[in-house]
Amino acid sequence: MRTQFRQTATALAEADDKVIVLLGDVSVYQFEQFKARFPRRFYNLGILEPTLISVAGGLASRGLRVFAHTIAPFLTERAYEQIKLDLCYNEFGANIVTCGASFDYAWDGATHHAYGDLAILRLLPGMEVIQPGSKAELAALLTSRYASGTPSYFRLSDHPHAIDTGPTRFGEGVVLKRGGSGVTVMTAGPLLANVLPAAAEFDVNLVYFHTLKPIDRELVRAFADTRILIVHDAFGLREAVNEVPGLRSWYHGLPDRFCSWYGKLDQMRARLGLDVAGIRAAIAALIAGKTASPSARRGDLAPRRTPAASSSRKRGTA
Amino acid sequence: MIEPCRRIRADILRVAHRSGHGHVPTCFSVVEALYAVYAAIRHDPSNPDWPERDLFVLSKGHASLALYCTLAAYGYFDVVEVEGFGAYESRFGCHPDRLKVPGIEVSTGSLGHGIGLAAGMALALKIEGSPRRVVTLVGDGEANEGTVWEALMVAADQRLGNLAVLYDHNRSQRRCLQIENPGERLEAFGCAVTEVDGHDVAALEAALAEATGERPRAIVAHTVKGHGCATLVEDMFAWHRRSPDAPTLAALMEELHADAV
Repeated sequence: MRTQFRQTATALAEADDKVIVLLGDVSVYQFEQFKARFPRRFYNLGILEPTLISVAGGLASRGLRVFAHTIAPFLTERAYEQIKLDLCYNEFGANIVTCGASFDYAWDGATHHAYGDLAILRLLPGMEVIQPGSKAELAALLTSRYASGTPSYFRLSDHPHAIDTGPTRFGEGVVLKRGGSGVTVMTAGPLLANVLPAAAEFDVNLVYFHTLKPIDRELVRAFADTRILIVHDAFGLREAVNEVPGLRSWYHGLPDRFCSWYGKLDQMRARLGLDVAGIRAAIAALIAGKTASPSARRGDLAPRRTPAASSSRKRGTA
Repeated sequence: MIEPCRRIRADILRVAHRSGHGHVPTCFSVVEALYAVYAAIRHDPSNPDWPERDLFVLSKGHASLALYCTLAAYGYFDVVEVEGFGAYESRFGCHPDRLKVPGIEVSTGSLGHGIGLAAGMALALKIEGSPRRVVTLVGDGEANEGTVWEALMVAADQRLGNLAVLYDHNRSQRRCLQIENPGERLEAFGCAVTEVDGHDVAALEAALAEATGERPRAIVAHTVKGHGCATLVEDMFAWHRRSPDAPTLAALMEELHADAV
């Protein structure tokens, strides 16, 4: 997806001399040709996420169309206040484009996992929150929103799906399947690659989103009389869907724990029940009338040791 | 003290009294700096959005009252309106909002933000090939924030000679993390540094006018928190957010005008 980001940004820069790329020393090789072609519109500022956002805001204040890019947890969680104040409160409409979605960097551990970004950015007034699932969606959404004048968040993954979800329109969800069981599965982003085959075996509705803010309330409302299973490998979609009041919804996604395993994305998803089999089981459970959140039951943790300081404190208080 | 700056201080005291809000000592430390900025930069109070204007960013946003009174002194609006300072439905908040007050370029308040935005603005002007420039004012307490130094590194690395950083060295952090050698540190971070008496408008204007080539300009303004009123200087921590009652206002006004003839 980063290659698509570079291709789209380059195409936009060809036609629009206000396009600026700011990097936090990530994806630098991707943008070598961009730098050579537009040397005054490419800046690798360094590893300083808060200032990356502030500078993006300053550039946007002068009407430039900025893509500020680095790894998701650092740019969204460390620099959250800069996004809130320097972009949203000041109404300086820079674009934030991250890589390292959810467990893309599974092997790097919890410091590099990013599953809170969508949820926390949704809270910011004026912020657009976009989770494209495929390269085609990214190209369409970047092109349609990069000059929106509002702060926009684009969350890239190195593991996009390749499913044709039809015309991609900002703010609009897509119905990929209709069924009669009274259950609707809702999902977003690259996880569709697992959700689509899992849902195929059931007589359920399947609704897909690439825009989490604004969420397509009309589409959610259209399924309000069904039981809704929200399947997502992050926080944010559940909250977005439930902007529509009165839903009967269940979340199959992440536990309230650090997911401190390593390995690869597929292994993380399998452990969390977000592989095809796990999602299939969750759908079957809801159809069967079992309404406890599958996520809440998964309290098992990766191997860990108890550091000495913790154990001595326990002894002292026993 | 020059008379325009004395009048601005008197306005600050009056507004602080009537509004019930303060930050008076920190405002008093930057009055000359603000007055000098608007004497030095290109701007048009009758046309705050003039496209050729230079840009000023008050990074230490809690000195907003000093900025409002300075902008009023330059004719942006009537200072009487500022008396609604911090009140419901007033456009003059205790931290400045660019979407409400003419002359405010950036909404600030949380420390360590304005300077990064100012660096971005300076970079934008450099990209445009514009002769316009950006001036920002940071506090020495604000300089406890790491983002101040991130922004300085970027400004130096991007050779933003069109950026000037006024550093209000009023020793506000002497009970915790006081930076004793800001000039050396700013120099080490790549700035061209000038140190001036921060209550000398002519010296400040001269420093703002100095050419720096491609290096960002840093001006360490040696100031006194509460400058102009001995009571505020002597007890600056207690007065940090205090608003003077009527008898105290009279006493402070007397102190302010003690050396005026």
